[in-house]
Amino acid sequence: METVINDYISREVVQDAALLPLGNATSLLETGILDSLGLLRLVVFVQERFGVTVDDVDLIPEHFESVDSICAYLRSRDGEGAGRAVGHG
Amino acid sequence: MAYLLHHLLAASAARAPGRTAVAAGERSLGYAELDRLSNRVARALLAQGVAPGDRVGIFAPKSAAAVVALFGVLKAGACYVPLDPKSPAGRLAAIMTDCGIAVVLADRASAAQAAALAVSVPGLRAVIEAGPHWGREAAAGTTPPEQAPVPPATVPWEAVLAEPAGALGPDLAIDTDLAYILYTSGSTGAPKGVMISHRASLTFVEWATACAGLDERDRVASPAPLHFDLSVFDVFAACGVGACLAVVPENTAIFPARLSQWLERERVTVWYSVPSVLTMLATYGNLRGHDLSGLRAVIFAGEVFPVKHLNLLLAELPGARYLNWYGPTETNVCTWYEVPSGAGRTAPVPIGKACANMDAFAVTSGGDRVAKPGEEGELYVRGSGLMRGYWGDQDKTRRALVPNPCQPAYDEPAYRTGDLVTLDDEGNFVFLGRRDGMVKTRGYRVELGEVEAALYAHPAVREAVVLPVPDELLGSRLRAVICAEGSGGLSREEVLDHCRRRLPGYMVPDIVEFLGSLPRNSNGKVDRARLAGHEG
Repeated sequence: METVINDYISREVVQDAALLPLGNATSLLETGILDSLGLLRLVVFVQERFGVTVDDVDLIPEHFESVDSICAYLRSRDGEGAGRAVGHG
Repeated sequence: MAYLLHHLLAASAARAPGRTAVAAGERSLGYAELDRLSNRVARALLAQGVAPGDRVGIFAPKSAAAVVALFGVLKAGACYVPLDPKSPAGRLAAIMTDCGIAVVLADRASAAQAAALAVSVPGLRAVIEAGPHWGREAAAGTTPPEQAPVPPATVPWEAVLAEPAGALGPDLAIDTDLAYILYTSGSTGAPKGVMISHRASLTFVEWATACAGLDERDRVASPAPLHFDLSVFDVFAACGVGACLAVVPENTAIFPARLSQWLERERVTVWYSVPSVLTMLATYGNLRGHDLSGLRAVIFAGEVFPVKHLNLLLAELPGARYLNWYGPTETNVCTWYEVPSGAGRTAPVPIGKACANMDAFAVTSGGDRVAKPGEEGELYVRGSGLMRGYWGDQDKTRRALVPNPCQPAYDEPAYRTGDLVTLDDEGNFVFLGRRDGMVKTRGYRVELGEVEAALYAHPAVREAVVLPVPDELLGSRLRAVICAEGSGGLSREEVLDHCRRRLPGYMVPDIVEFLGSLPRNSNGKVDRARLAGHEG
């Protein structure tokens, strides 16, 4: 899951090559990697790729701070039975 | 009478010294304090030899420190140039060199980064800290790398504070002097510096204040960074009436639920942003779960607001006025339209009618003035709000500021917007599209030619074309079609990596495709229409 999300952010969201390669613990916010449209595209991607629904109350910095925190959030959603991972993330 | 932008601050500081001018998290700044601190900054600039008309860079995100800095620059009779700390270093150095920046003002967190950058800018004399670390700590590891050339002197904030805080004496500028230069995308690959005078900016600010009905009770907010011309409204219009500029904390505009919480907590009364932030807010912001009854005006500009999302916003937040402001950086806002209340709109939102003290008119391809609904033409703008031109580029200036085609009796500049418009039945202008290769993405203007020029800088790129792909949220996505030298070997990642080093993020193509050859029309030119028809 970390690899899939790291790949997506590195390819589609990162806008400054100096920030690559992207570490899974690197802050997406302090580095300015994530902007509002980047977040929206990322949410659309994880919803399609992992078959979860991201609620608006879950769109908070704590869940999108880094690749690691995104994965932790998605796994917690999975634990609630809110969604099933699709594919081999 | 205010004829210089900083007269607005002087008047508000005299009338309401204790009122809050800037609220930025824990740090807020009263009008008297803002006035006195910016006097000190002006003196620190003069001490560095800054003369009237000199360009001074502002290297900081929108913050209390940045507002102090820009008023300091204006009071010194100089012209400020916002530098986006998130832009690639190469682009920033090109901008700083282009307009010959003498001194850079940076907040403490950015000062080391600015000093490292300044090494590559000839003639740059000093980096001055504008404010202590108000709300922003220096990131770890931002000490400048050991460089062979000696970086310019860095003047610490403590030295600025040692300057006298009293008023400076006679004005060092007149209203036709430049107040700021905003760099936008240029078609030949180099960014263009749009020069705005005090008079032009005040023409906008005075109209905007009246249009939004601002008064000293207002709390005005916009997430637009200083290098984006939307920021002129919240910085100067708020200041002119003694209202409070509420600085949107970094990252807050990204997370819609946070933004609605923040709007409620800060009791924001007037909001100004590109439509995409409002789309996110309407879709994910849980607006009904917050008390936003104080938000009385929502203003948007910079791109077309998709009607579907605007209707959602009108339904979620029915109490506010909705204003669509239109105008390229070169004209400030020049037309406006108030969206009637009630959802269920189906027609696109017009760009409206000319602002007070500005004139907008459209000219058909036959050279006639558009007079009747349904006729199409290119929009021209004339009036005191126009830019002075592009810094250091008289040719481009002459192509943009042309003699008014409807005024044969004497010379008068009019700005050719390149925007094609028509009239609706109420006499409002309606935007149809562009005459040239400029597109809007995320509210930013992008010249496709500038992206193409960056692609051509890669040795393995033989030919490159960049096309806009309409996107409901972004405005346009950028699609690059590339013919590589030799037999392949050039990867998508390589192209993106190459672009990211040369272009700001919003100009990096979203889609990269490779073709063996590009289709051509009978003139031998690349057939963009055919390429556009064969997407993906």
